[in-house]
Amino acid sequence: MLWIKAWEESRTRFAIIALVLTGFCVFATLFHRPVGPLGSGSVGLRIHDLIYSGTAKGTFAMLSVFLGLGGLTRERVRRTAMFTLALPVSRLQVLGTQVGVGLLELAVLSLLPGFSLPLLSWLAHDPYPFLKALHYSVLWFVCSMVVFAFAYLLAVAFEGEYTPPVACYIALMVQALIASWAPLRSYRLNLMWTMAEFPAIPWERLLTLLMITFVFFALAAWITRKQDL
Amino acid sequence: MLWYKAWRESQARFLLSACTIAGLCVVFVLFHSQGAASAYRSRTYVEYIWRIVYKGYLREIFALLALLLGVGGLRRERDYGTAGFTLTLPVSRLRLVSIRAAMGLSEIALLSFLPVIVIPALSPLVGQVYPWTQALEFGLLWAAGGSFLFVIGFLASILFAGEYTAAVVAVTVTLGYSVVADRPFVQRYVIDVHDLMSGTGTHHFQPDVFLLVGPLPSAALSIILLIVCSSVLLAGCITQRQDF
Repeated sequence: MLWIKAWEESRTRFAIIALVLTGFCVFATLFHRPVGPLGSGSVGLRIHDLIYSGTAKGTFAMLSVFLGLGGLTRERVRRTAMFTLALPVSRLQVLGTQVGVGLLELAVLSLLPGFSLPLLSWLAHDPYPFLKALHYSVLWFVCSMVVFAFAYLLAVAFEGEYTPPVACYIALMVQALIASWAPLRSYRLNLMWTMAEFPAIPWERLLTLLMITFVFFALAAWITRKQDL
Repeated sequence: MLWYKAWRESQARFLLSACTIAGLCVVFVLFHSQGAASAYRSRTYVEYIWRIVYKGYLREIFALLALLLGVGGLRRERDYGTAGFTLTLPVSRLRLVSIRAAMGLSEIALLSFLPVIVIPALSPLVGQVYPWTQALEFGLLWAAGGSFLFVIGFLASILFAGEYTAAVVAVTVTLGYSVVADRPFVQRYVIDVHDLMSGTGTHHFQPDVFLLVGPLPSAALSIILLIVCSSVLLAGCITQRQDF
């Protein structure tokens, strides 16, 4: 029941993001013509230009913020928190379910280009390697989890409806700025760079990102348990 | 009172945005030597400011914040159960919408002019000079571009209910618009507000010195003003017909 509740609360946002990603994939494989020397390039080059190092990657990261905006603080503002808290489940279970549904949605969204791009490029008679697309899907999933977790933490901590996404976007931009500072650039801390890493998957960096995600979720859970709702 | 209500509903977002923009301007100016030497390999201070503020990170943050300042309104109030109280006030729905739009556009204007004040004022502290006139011209371009982005979020909040649906749609529409406006055959006919805000979308930007020369693009600014006013009017008309 909690899973259905979490799904119903986020399905519209999920559907819009899925539609946007699908649109990008169709456009990249069938219509996109990069400006400049890549103009007459292969489907693979066009996919790389628009999807894996271009607008689609940034769009996915930005829209992941809105999937992460949940929590009981939002329900308190809408005055439905008392109904949710009256359910015979712990606050941790409510949070865990929302996080679980959100992560599942992120996994599906990350895999969407992973499956659709090879299929669409096959239709365009220039197949894009499935394993390469899957490689990027893994990177997108882990990096978007960090964004999701941070947005969730902010949504739990701040009461205003749009204050969490504003704060999240500011933090993402500041993170990108700090990562581009010369002493730190070699560590490639920018999430956008990590999402485009090829050919090797940076497992150590992904593990670090997973630990950061866990810390954000743990903080969100701790705050929710202590909150007076 | 309606102005105060609109202010209270958006003050957290506005103050956070203002602190961020002002703070980043201060950081960019004070640490310009590190910035110019690393990611923004700029030959001159003016080039560095243009790359990092008017074309780079700050422009992107400003664009997103302008979008998010536009969302809110009566459809969100309906979900909170407060729309009934607002609608019993002795004012028309058009007035409600207009004042919310006016407050938002004022906030956009204030945010646009923060770099105008901070950058030229602080530059002498690091032994550099940034012309006030340049900062002012870019401020006007940002006010226009920011207003356009604001009404995208504003219209989305009028049309779409559901928590954050309006914001997701607004971000999606803006990104789609950016992709389409960069197509060569579209570029000739459609203004890309991101290019307008960086000056590269005008014939008045000199890329070799990274300065705006000559008059600002009055045609583009007029079209944007027309779009903003029409959008607010459209939003008012839609709100008048909605059932809360």
